[in-house]
Amino acid sequence: MRYLFAAAGALAVAFTASAFAADASKSTAMREDYIRPPMPAGFQIVPTELEGPVFADSKGMTFYIWPYKTMRVGNAGDNENMSACDTKPTTETAGMMSPYPPGLVLPELDKRLSCAQVWPPAYASDTDKPVGNFSVITRSDGKKQWAFNKKALYTSILDKQPGDVMGATGRRERGDGPAEREPVGPAPNIPPGFAVITTAKGRLLLNDKNYSVYTYDKDQPNKSNCVGTCAEMWAPVIAPAAIQPTGEWSVVERAPGVRQWAFRKKPLYTSTQDTKTWSYQGSDTPGWRNVFTQVAPAFPQGFTVVDNEVGETLIGPNGRAVYFYTCGDDSKDQLACDHPAAPQAYRIAVCGGGSVEKCNQRWPYLQAAADAKSTSRSWTIMEIDPKTGHHATPGQAGAIRVWAFRDRPLFNFFGDTKPLDLYGNTWGEFNGKRNGFRAFVVRDDFFDAAN
Amino acid sequence: MKQNLARAFSVCALGATLAVGGAASADDTIVNNVRDRSIAYAVSGGHWGIYQTGDGKAECPDGLNDVGPRETFKMLFPDDGTKRSVVDTQLAREAAIWAPEDKEYKFPYHLAGGKVGLGLNLDGKVGPNDFTTPDGEKGIDNQLFRAMGCLRWLRGPDGIGYHFSDLYMKQFNYNRALIELTNVDSLADDPDVDVTIYRGLDSLMADATGAKTMPGGTQRIDAKFGQKFITHLKGKIVAGVLTTEPVKEMYWPFAWFGGNPGAQHILDMRMKLKLTQEAANGFIGGYENLEEWYYGLARGRSTHHLAYGSVSAPGVYQAIHKLADAYPDASGKNTAISMAWGTDLTQVFIQRRPQEVAAAPASAPSKSEPAGGRH
Repeated sequence: MRYLFAAAGALAVAFTASAFAADASKSTAMREDYIRPPMPAGFQIVPTELEGPVFADSKGMTFYIWPYKTMRVGNAGDNENMSACDTKPTTETAGMMSPYPPGLVLPELDKRLSCAQVWPPAYASDTDKPVGNFSVITRSDGKKQWAFNKKALYTSILDKQPGDVMGATGRRERGDGPAEREPVGPAPNIPPGFAVITTAKGRLLLNDKNYSVYTYDKDQPNKSNCVGTCAEMWAPVIAPAAIQPTGEWSVVERAPGVRQWAFRKKPLYTSTQDTKTWSYQGSDTPGWRNVFTQVAPAFPQGFTVVDNEVGETLIGPNGRAVYFYTCGDDSKDQLACDHPAAPQAYRIAVCGGGSVEKCNQRWPYLQAAADAKSTSRSWTIMEIDPKTGHHATPGQAGAIRVWAFRDRPLFNFFGDTKPLDLYGNTWGEFNGKRNGFRAFVVRDDFFDAAN
Repeated sequence: MKQNLARAFSVCALGATLAVGGAASADDTIVNNVRDRSIAYAVSGGHWGIYQTGDGKAECPDGLNDVGPRETFKMLFPDDGTKRSVVDTQLAREAAIWAPEDKEYKFPYHLAGGKVGLGLNLDGKVGPNDFTTPDGEKGIDNQLFRAMGCLRWLRGPDGIGYHFSDLYMKQFNYNRALIELTNVDSLADDPDVDVTIYRGLDSLMADATGAKTMPGGTQRIDAKFGQKFITHLKGKIVAGVLTTEPVKEMYWPFAWFGGNPGAQHILDMRMKLKLTQEAANGFIGGYENLEEWYYGLARGRSTHHLAYGSVSAPGVYQAIHKLADAYPDASGKNTAISMAWGTDLTQVFIQRRPQEVAAAPASAPSKSEPAGGRH
């Protein structure tokens, strides 16, 4: 039918239910606990591999919001209690992507979907009433739509089964990246004084000033062995005097009147040497670890992580840096163009100067070995037609099996000849954030880009 | 006029300082930051080696470049009511940036001219295309200046490329190159010193206003993610000026844009720095591979940012290929271009963690001192 709908077939090939059964988010021990808010009838909360628990509709499809964002020229996204996601397809650019003007005709208009087709609104009935932080807003066409914390809710056409978060762009891009949609979920069940953020390694536990907290291998369950000079380097996270243990959270009595938080029975500390927020530097000291409410799915077999000048980056089974492609069009919809179902003209412009052949030579797909298998919902193998960049049809001649993260294909760069090379990093418009390629950074000590 | 400007811009001031280094040699009697025959400096500023006069006429007789991405777009696609597609306009311009080798650049692009330039004599020769410093040193190899010198983007103090390059050197720790000198007997004259380059981890120490970088701060070495930057050189100090021997290649911490840690990959790299107890400044010189350098620029600075300074990436691509002066390939075509990077450094003390001490380049005891060095 339309390119976007072709994704369903590829997903079905690439993923089986048994894969999800093995993923970390299904494991009770490593699943993030959350606060159960009052919700409208039929709404539910489902675990996801990458984003922790999310709100979902009655079919389990993840809800997203579209945060309002200031672009280089103008703004995009939803204001409070409003939806900017229309049912009529946009046809022209909005001129938000300096230095280019507005009014340019968008690619493949005959196949272009409207914002509301790509992001189906969570429609409410005329009789639905607010529940807790869920409210009902009125769209420009008069229809009612659910909102959470005043932000309109949508599902994604790319999500096919409960627990999918494919709708969000492959990797989050700050700054000049597109105005991306984000999954939305319940608050994590953590005491006051803590926070959780999504990173490439998992849902990272922080204190309320966004500094990482750590655990010590030499501690015992609910007992700290870090004293003296150790406690000068590693500051125990002090619990209030009146706090009571709850769920996964307990309190360690370090000394009379000095109480320390413990998570999953492990006492928590901050590092006095951390000079930046959400740091991993403390874990470079043997015996000390960052803390996650749930960890991200393991990389597939053959993928490795290396240290180079930008941090920890991912190396594919072929020994070369792994890159992901990011693309957001310049329409007021800010629809993503980073998916095989989207127009490929953007990618081919920056990877091959408009030539498909040059594109495939300079930015080849990261092909999967014949016996390679998808290992999780997030890491899959898809069939791609390299001549078009779209999903291949079943049995199509010339199709290649490609590794994908979050339903987007991954790439190598022809200029990288050694495992530590990153000559393709930030390739493309706005440092690869708008239409281009960026290295798959697993840990970034410099600019908080690994999420 | 030239002398006035030389005082205004640190690059030019540096050239003058290097040339009269003997007159400005270090005064060890005031404060001695040389500890155990070692001293270290951290990068606190930097800029391309662009020589400039007030009106630019001497070095840019054809004028400054003023046809960048916006201007090119308007020339190609005038606002005449024609309906145009993204593919035929915006993406075609992006294609010209990301695959420039197939595109003939048809718009004006002015190269720097004249005989005065900044940098180092890389080949030990005085050639017809070489520059002479404002203070008379001949044989300066810096064809990148000829390619880029008429971009107002890189001209100080207002060009945003100039401004942000310098700011990023101060602001972002992933640009924090450290230079450690060991086996130093005197900052004024020493025929044999060892130089090691690292990437540091820490912010610079500032005065109470936060605006001025102060010597005496501490820096940790980035031993985890900064391995590619660690480079050892041999050097000598003459009249307070450190000159190193070239190394085959080195990586200098350098981000074209905030948030994108990277490196300048410099071939035949060497440095010439005026040293004091509190600071070092001078030039790093060598050759840049054309493709690496061009795509470093394109990857680091988006079309949007280049548009601020009317920088045409395809124009730059053609210019550097035209002016390439080293590393010929099998066909005889040069693949690299001579360059100079002006760097400002501030004295720091390197703080080594216990596991790094053993690997540190220790200074041998001074011939004039008992074993154990000075304390």
